[in-house]
Amino acid sequence: MDTVYKGEHLLPGHLGQIFVILSFGAALLSTISYYFATTNTNKLDNSWLRMGRIAFYLNSLSILGVGVMLFYVIYNHYFEYHYAWAYTSRSLPVYYIVSGFWNGQEGGFLLWTFWQAVLGNILIWRSKSWEKPVMTVVSFSQLFLASMLLGIEVFGARIGSSPFLLLRNAVEGPIFSRADYLSFIKDGQGMNPLLQNYWMVIHPPTLFLGLASVVVPFAYAVAGLWQKRYKDWIVPALSYGLFAAMILGIGVIMGSLWAYESLNFGGFWAWDAVENASIFPWLTLVGGLHVMIVYKNTGHSYFTATLLVLLSFIMVLYSSFLARSGILGDTSVHSFTDLGMFWQLVSYILAFLFISAWLLIVRWKELPITKKDEETYSREFWMFVGAVFLGLSCFHLVLVTSIPVWNAMFGTKVAPPTDLVGHYNVIQSSFAMVIVILMGLSQFLKYKKTDATRFFISTALYMLCAALITTLVAYVSGLYKLHFVFIMVMFGSIYSVLANGKVLSDALKGKFKLAGSAVAHIGFALMLIGALIAAGTRKVVSNNESGTIAVKGFDRGTADAKVGGDVHENIMMYKNEPVKMGPYTATYIGDSVSAPNFYYKVDYKRYDKNGKIAEEFILKPNAQINPQMGLVSSPDTKHYLFHDLYTHITAVPQPVANSANADGGAAHGEENDDKNYEEPVPHEVAVGDTIPYRDGYIILKSLNKEAQVQNIPLTGNDIAIGAKLEVVTHNKTYQAEPVYMIKNKSVLDFSRKVEDAGLKLRLSKIIPDKNKVEIIVYQQPVNKKPYIVMRALDFPYINFLWSGTVIMIIGFLMSISRRSKEYKAV
Amino acid sequence: MKKSSIFGLIVIAIAIATIITTYSSSSTYGSFSDAKKTTDELHIVGHLDKSKELYYDATKDANYFSFFIKDNKGEECKVIFTGTKPQDFEKSEQIVLTGRMNGKEFHASTILMKCPSKYTQDKVEVTEAKAKTAQL
Repeated sequence: MDTVYKGEHLLPGHLGQIFVILSFGAALLSTISYYFATTNTNKLDNSWLRMGRIAFYLNSLSILGVGVMLFYVIYNHYFEYHYAWAYTSRSLPVYYIVSGFWNGQEGGFLLWTFWQAVLGNILIWRSKSWEKPVMTVVSFSQLFLASMLLGIEVFGARIGSSPFLLLRNAVEGPIFSRADYLSFIKDGQGMNPLLQNYWMVIHPPTLFLGLASVVVPFAYAVAGLWQKRYKDWIVPALSYGLFAAMILGIGVIMGSLWAYESLNFGGFWAWDAVENASIFPWLTLVGGLHVMIVYKNTGHSYFTATLLVLLSFIMVLYSSFLARSGILGDTSVHSFTDLGMFWQLVSYILAFLFISAWLLIVRWKELPITKKDEETYSREFWMFVGAVFLGLSCFHLVLVTSIPVWNAMFGTKVAPPTDLVGHYNVIQSSFAMVIVILMGLSQFLKYKKTDATRFFISTALYMLCAALITTLVAYVSGLYKLHFVFIMVMFGSIYSVLANGKVLSDALKGKFKLAGSAVAHIGFALMLIGALIAAGTRKVVSNNESGTIAVKGFDRGTADAKVGGDVHENIMMYKNEPVKMGPYTATYIGDSVSAPNFYYKVDYKRYDKNGKIAEEFILKPNAQINPQMGLVSSPDTKHYLFHDLYTHITAVPQPVANSANADGGAAHGEENDDKNYEEPVPHEVAVGDTIPYRDGYIILKSLNKEAQVQNIPLTGNDIAIGAKLEVVTHNKTYQAEPVYMIKNKSVLDFSRKVEDAGLKLRLSKIIPDKNKVEIIVYQQPVNKKPYIVMRALDFPYINFLWSGTVIMIIGFLMSISRRSKEYKAV
Repeated sequence: MKKSSIFGLIVIAIAIATIITTYSSSSTYGSFSDAKKTTDELHIVGHLDKSKELYYDATKDANYFSFFIKDNKGEECKVIFTGTKPQDFEKSEQIVLTGRMNGKEFHASTILMKCPSKYTQDKVEVTEAKAKTAQL
């Protein structure tokens, strides 16, 4: 019998589901209509085109409908919906509710299909004669994305996963047999604390816009082959391609900035499988854009340009497969769970792979491939070489990242290299070295034919300068200690900055439209310089045993460390006990809580030669003690112009339940509390005497005959005496006043705690004949004292990386404006 | 021969070299008995033995963490990791270690773990939901 559930809001879900199905149907209709519009030979018949457009508009509107309904569900905390329950909670602020929107996989697909719809509408508006074939491809892609959200069963197989799935259908549990189950589900699970970050609000939309926009150059390339307009597609596709590369690049860098600023990855790039997957399409697309320009200017490299552009979109699909199919389970920290869409994702890839391959094969003989060889001293030849190397770099990344895929395909059990980071760094740097040198070299070459003598002279001159600067940089930064290939990348990058700098200065004098590429190249080279120095010569500061670590390759030198592993990077800090750490003296001085975050305040002091404080600042790495996730720590970083000091918490004591109320007054539960201390030590002292203890000393300043204890009024014969004590420990002074009281002839005493010093003090006896009192000192054992374990790293010159990014984006923008002017001119 | 054909051959050579380098530097998923036979680093997939002690005492050494792992063949071994105890370690369902044997102990350089709370969120919350009904 069906249970009638109470309190569910089913309408928004039904509406949402209708929109999901409508978006799928509309995408299907749009694909078919645009296909027939393209193949229709009757030029006067616009009915298919009109239908295709209407269907695409309908698709866009229903995607908006899905979004509105999902937002409605999340915003109103309708936890009967699995999506709202799994990714949001009542305590989340509104801007995280927005990001809860794309926390789940379904939301990611929704975002992707939304951007693709936006781009589709722009194409309908702008692409003119290209609209029919290009929109056929875009609609076809929309069809696949819409299917990911369907969540319906066809012949026993579930297709897609709907964001409007009800909790009771998603999760098994006896609770759902109750009609009033909703009254027990007061709150959602909330968001993974790692994701509660402003980057989560802006990174996914940017990245998905980047991924979605790769479809446009792809669609143009397909349309070019399909319609046999081999030459024409390049110009319009260039500006869209540049846009896609720019946004995708920004999205990826945002991710690494996020990792650096607030995730405890220990840096900005960890070669995590999902990180790698996000740059596959970027590498092939950037390569593709370069050969497109070559083809446009010289007629060479048509095939390579088309191939790389086609591959870029295949890479978008492949990287989404890697991230979403659950196949990376053993190798990535990112991996999502498998939503049962493995084969659906595979078929998305295969469909577009098939279209690309089929068109290339069918049109092979007609492709405008030049029989003539390129000149060796021509820009196009070396740009082509560079693009191929970008492709090779992508090839290597795909190869290693896909190890779990190979294992699944061939039933093998190959594990990734043990020193994965070192492996990637060395091999990728080898490709990067070739690419950056070519990036500089080709600036001295002209299209078609260059005067060789002049070329050699100017190249040699710039190379010499670059070599000199590299020597200096390598010496100053300590880069020379690393693998040779990193120095070569540095050399190439510096050379590239110089060569492109020359082009830029020429461009500023006149040929301004050429400036875009020079600026983008300089930005890219600066990024590499920053990444190289920051990752290659980063130092572990929290390593007070041996001072520095030997850096072999990048990172932690795991391969040759004797103890099979890590150097000792974590440092233990007791509260208020200064620790010498590299050039700093660091002290853990306390916590502040802003629920659910604990901020651990660490005071840094740097002394100059004369022992004076040259610098002092406080960093607050925080940690969330999350009931579900345990300790989730976020670093805090002190930024300097030329380096960053990065710290994060790696361990804290287990939180003790009710760690005693700070001013613990009465004697209740006192015995229990005493267990937290070492054996008490009584001292008989007079005013002015000093009591030494392990971490410092205590002075009895005076006795206060008018001591007050809250809530205990004193009457005639009662006596209350307070001992004014001064505790001096680790250069800090604390006051405490334990009280001795005689009330109604019974003796009471009120101990006082000095939490920061780990002390409890009692005034237990008054000894009038000796004019002394007895003070009992309770000291916390070392391991009960508050402490943190922390890791601190120093990233030198990391600002080159960030500023390089900004410069590269400016370069992209300049190029986009140039290419879109050309596009209008056509 | 055309220059582009020569270049094509070079590219193919580089691609093959990349595959070979990757293959030769890749390691294997092994067991503790495999680890005893070699001095190379390798990956071991296993499960935490929750009945034995997890030792991490930051007050003694902030960079020493030891525990016992049962590999997929059922062999158990003490593992030492020079670092702090990863959060939620006790809850892990499966652990992938990288490292090598040192005497009778396995010295791990990295630990990758799968936790139910991160991957199958649903289970965890439902037990909580049950607890709430029980209170009635």
